[in-house]
Amino acid sequence: MNFQNLMRTAIRSLGRNKMRSALTSLGVIIGVASVIMMVGIGNSARVAVREKIFTYGSNAMGVESKKRTFTMSDVEAMKRAIPSIKFISPMVGKTQVTAKYQGAILYSRIRGVNNDFFKIKEWPLKYGRYFTEQEILSREKIVVLGNTLLDELFGSINPVGKVMLINNIPFQVIGCLAESGQAFSGKDQDNLIVMPYTTAMVKISGRNVFNEIFISTFNEQMVEKTEASVRSFIREDRGLAPGTPDDFNITTSKEQLQMAEYISQTLAMLLAGIASISLIVGGIGIMNIMLVSVSERTREIGIRMAIGAKKSDILLQFLIEAVSLSSSGGTVGIIIGLGVYYAITVGVGWDFLFSTFSVVVAFLFSCAVGVFFGYYPARKASNLKPIDALRYE
Amino acid sequence: MRDKVIDIQNLVKTYQISEEVSVHALRGISLTIARGEFVAIMGASGSGKSTLMNILGFLDTHTSGKYILDGVDGIALDENQKAEIRNRKIGFVFQGFNLLSRTSALENVELPMMYRGDAEPREMKRKARELLAMVGLAGREHHHPNRLSGGEQQRVAIARSLINDPAIILADEPTGNLDTKNSDEVMKIFTRLNKETGITIILVTHEPDVANYTDRKVVFRDGQIMEDAPIAKAAPRPGRKRP
Repeated sequence: MNFQNLMRTAIRSLGRNKMRSALTSLGVIIGVASVIMMVGIGNSARVAVREKIFTYGSNAMGVESKKRTFTMSDVEAMKRAIPSIKFISPMVGKTQVTAKYQGAILYSRIRGVNNDFFKIKEWPLKYGRYFTEQEILSREKIVVLGNTLLDELFGSINPVGKVMLINNIPFQVIGCLAESGQAFSGKDQDNLIVMPYTTAMVKISGRNVFNEIFISTFNEQMVEKTEASVRSFIREDRGLAPGTPDDFNITTSKEQLQMAEYISQTLAMLLAGIASISLIVGGIGIMNIMLVSVSERTREIGIRMAIGAKKSDILLQFLIEAVSLSSSGGTVGIIIGLGVYYAITVGVGWDFLFSTFSVVVAFLFSCAVGVFFGYYPARKASNLKPIDALRYE
Repeated sequence: MRDKVIDIQNLVKTYQISEEVSVHALRGISLTIARGEFVAIMGASGSGKSTLMNILGFLDTHTSGKYILDGVDGIALDENQKAEIRNRKIGFVFQGFNLLSRTSALENVELPMMYRGDAEPREMKRKARELLAMVGLAGREHHHPNRLSGGEQQRVAIARSLINDPAIILADEPTGNLDTKNSDEVMKIFTRLNKETGITIILVTHEPDVANYTDRKVVFRDGQIMEDAPIAKAAPRPGRKRP
């Protein structure tokens, strides 16, 4: 029998059991839809993380020294010595501070910095303003809040001008940062209190030294060179002998980016892997229904064989039925998967990334599921002896 | 002498039920049927006539002996070649009609030609319509079997058996499920086919009235041929009212 007729025969017999065919395809629909969705979400998440890291400054780097501290003169000397540094800010940090406002309380962390910090992080304001140089010099008790503090302590009120307690010391709120969301690590980046480093040294840490410095360069290409310059500057400053290891760490966005990419890629693969299990379950569903169909239609097979159907005709007929089930399920699954993925990206605010490749692969894979799981029942049908099949009641 | 369509020598069929028990369905029969003959094979159930039909129809293989259909010795053929012989040389008509359900009369008739593979669709349709008209079902082409009476279904089956211009028609109790009126009608179609087109028809039945339509009667008992004789045509032509 030619292919066109085989196709017609297969489609017609599927049409006779519309409900059953639809339910059988459902497994593949769900499987393909979830694979498409998961791969899409994985890609979007990767792009989102990448953008976020770039937002935090693709030119940025952080220097951290746990054992030995930095002073403000280190920062100034560094800025003078290395011309590719555009912005530089000290960071007097403290975690687990209590922030109170009218009975509401939240544990937060303090970042004592200069105004360069906002430029390095490219962090816009939601309300109010940044610090003035005068305020930094005179160690004003003022703060710029992260969005989480705004939500938790002030609710919908504009906090600018309000006075709050940080570790029971009153501070005036002068600004509030725009929301930036969770970091890829899950850390809430908006739960922070920014104050002048001078204030933080006096009121919070009680020391005029600090452990971290933030730096940004004029462009991304300078990052590597600047990193090297900063490294040799500190080593020289501290008199580290050649060959001894650094007693400080420099982290660049590039490293963070690679890390994030690796994590999100692994996650996407994991998700797709889990989703493809449901595709296999869908395939087993097809095999099951095809086996039922073969035994139900034994007599039909017998009739077809008696009037001249070859083994290959019967095999192809059932194989085409299985592949039709799985590929139509695949097509519907692709549409649903893209739809849900689109809805999620709109909801979360990510980019919708249409990938022709993954659609083609999903479709071919669903066809392959049909061939793989349809072959056994089809073979069983084609191996029936015509005389036994004809007698079957 | 007309040429032989079926040439059977010493045909034996033994079913091995278990290691000790075997059933001898055919015990060495010899039979030749010439082209254009209309033969009734008769016998009680278990006499071996159905076994013979299955072997004649290439649905089953014999244990020993020789069977040549229209010059083809089936013993050496593989399944695909047998399917091809069934398709091109044999037209089957079964007791239970064996039409595909939920498939129109026309498509049922077309089916063997579809499996032949070399059919031109328009020619296939034309021929199927012609055959349906010949069995008196013009205008019913698009009816499904469940909308046809038993007699009509059997006529569709006859049309189907003819579409590939086979060498023989094998009819296994074709009137077994039909009432008198319908079996008369079916038998008249067979008779007309045999007379007009000269096609060889072999028909299994246990009804003497049905056998009377044919020209030759072969009676089986216990796997052997008991009687092989022409039907006396002096007797009143069949088609008379049966009680």
